[in-house]
Amino acid sequence: MAVDTPASRNALAGLRQVPIQELVLPVVIVALLIAGIIIKPDVFPTSDNLLNVLTQASITGIIAIGMTFVIATGGIDLSVGSVLAAASIAGGLLADNGSYTFMLGAVGLAVLLGAINGLAITWGKVVPFVATLAMLTIARGLALWMSDKTPISLAELDILQRIGSSRLLGVPIPALVFLAVTIAGWVLLNRTTFGRHTIAVGGNRSAARIAGIRSNRVVFAVYVLIGLCVGISAILLSGRLASASPVVGNLVELDAIAAVVIGGTALTGGKATVTGTFFGVITFALIFNLLNLLNMPSEIQGIVKGVLILAAVALQRRD
Amino acid sequence: MKLPRRLVVMVALTAIALTACTEEAKQEPAAPQGTSAPQAGGVTGRPVKVAFSAPGADHGWLKAITDNARKAAEELKVDLVLAEGTNDTASQVSQVETLISQKPDVLVILPQEGGALTPIAQKAMQAGIPVVNVDREFSTPAAFRTWIGGDNYGIGVAAADLIANELKCNGNVVEIQGVAGISVTEERTKGFTDGIKRCNGGIKIVASQPADFLPDKGLQVMETMLQGHKDIKAVYTHDDDMAMGAVQAIRNAGREDEMFITGAGGSKDAMNLIAEGGLYRATFLYNPSMSGSAISLAKLIAEQKGLSELVEPEVPSRIQLPATTVTKENVASVQSLGY
Repeated sequence: MAVDTPASRNALAGLRQVPIQELVLPVVIVALLIAGIIIKPDVFPTSDNLLNVLTQASITGIIAIGMTFVIATGGIDLSVGSVLAAASIAGGLLADNGSYTFMLGAVGLAVLLGAINGLAITWGKVVPFVATLAMLTIARGLALWMSDKTPISLAELDILQRIGSSRLLGVPIPALVFLAVTIAGWVLLNRTTFGRHTIAVGGNRSAARIAGIRSNRVVFAVYVLIGLCVGISAILLSGRLASASPVVGNLVELDAIAAVVIGGTALTGGKATVTGTFFGVITFALIFNLLNLLNMPSEIQGIVKGVLILAAVALQRRD
Repeated sequence: MKLPRRLVVMVALTAIALTACTEEAKQEPAAPQGTSAPQAGGVTGRPVKVAFSAPGADHGWLKAITDNARKAAEELKVDLVLAEGTNDTASQVSQVETLISQKPDVLVILPQEGGALTPIAQKAMQAGIPVVNVDREFSTPAAFRTWIGGDNYGIGVAAADLIANELKCNGNVVEIQGVAGISVTEERTKGFTDGIKRCNGGIKIVASQPADFLPDKGLQVMETMLQGHKDIKAVYTHDDDMAMGAVQAIRNAGREDEMFITGAGGSKDAMNLIAEGGLYRATFLYNPSMSGSAISLAKLIAEQKGLSELVEPEVPSRIQLPATTVTKENVASVQSLGY
């Protein structure tokens, strides 16, 4: 790069501007797939294993799609892991009346807590980091208190368990739900006024206000939206576990944020990509799968993940 | 605009107060009661005052630890000053400092981390307050009058024994560990690998991964192990709660006839599954009843008595509880200890 001719500079700028940002993750994913096929040819490339990767990605993935909207407004939600546990427990407490009341309870509480986050941030004027940090401890406390610190068995809930563990057209239901949420998220962000407003609010709030966008409403809505995503994840997770436990969801917030960030959504807001988030989630799920299949120690997994976050974000930096 | 905002702040505050209250309610028999303590007891004067500190009860086992301590204190008519609920080593240190300032007869501590709580425990000992150390051991014997705990290494050995016998020293085994890098996990792993050596390679540990004692992690790790290994005979896990996630992964994959699983700890759920028979073959006690025993020991120390069945007139300085193997055969006899 020592040669600083205009031509080379242009070529570099061109390279950086258009494709690299969006190509980084697909390239990484393809590399991981090839590595998997070479290292574990008998196990890794089977449809069973790849569907397993998609299923395992679903819980964090659905939350990450919601997180994309939150981060697009320049916000953050640190409470999702705790809310996931609280929602599972809320559902579990209503489980005596069947799977549907479970779902109602789980989604209901998650949306409620999301709405409280939204209110604290908009009307309460608490910065998102602090508001959702507070909710992180409140929701975990609620989960432990409501459950008396004991897991609730959901072995009686047939429908719920079927949602968690059976297949439709050969694809596990959690994976299907994840794909559906991703598509819905893409449409919402790229093809609706709400999506445009979300980006506008994150880009420049005063400009958005001048343009007649009611920022508070948009911000409130994205926290409700991520609450809904967490509620859906709570249903899938509890179905898969056949129990509701107050300790689940530990550090899910960081996994979700990491996926969003390596996907190319800017933490400062104003730029977001649902496809990027989807690829980010898949990347981490593939790494977990591969390193586990190789029986690598978990600390290696931490290092690989961290290096990847740094590398991906560094490659995506603009200008 | 102003009214709703104030309203919301109020609602939020109420919500915070509510969670704070329930937290407090759980640790309430603590400070205020302690300070107003000295009431007339029996003929021997005031009741023995024991201060108790343990990490936050956010795991089934730790919850049982606190519950059992409280129950034992009630039964023994001990005046218990209980400080529960911190997962941070530094704040447990200051918690213990506060407890010492209330001048208890005996201090019972289950440290978040043995090494970090050692200096403060030693200070208590020097101030003439005997310390009963529960579970995670202090780094020097000078920091406790007596230690009571389970046998992590023994859990590994007992599990290796059971698995070796059931499999006749032949087959693939996977291990799901607790939190990587803590002594509990390391000892449970070491006991198992040492114990399995007697099969001379007949039993292979084909995979070994941590799942942090958490059920959702147990599910994920097991799912991937099931993908990677098409012939697994047994699953050795470090914890009953976490094993529940692994059980579900095996069931979801429809492979419950291929293998069996063992837990550790002795939770009610695990014991129920063991009684049913089948997939969940055994667990190994690491019983939270030890905190109840610790309160008894504290009382004996304060009264300068020994264990009545022993010849010696004082409490021994170490008591290690065995990692009793619980299977379908004996589960009925220990089910009451389940947490």
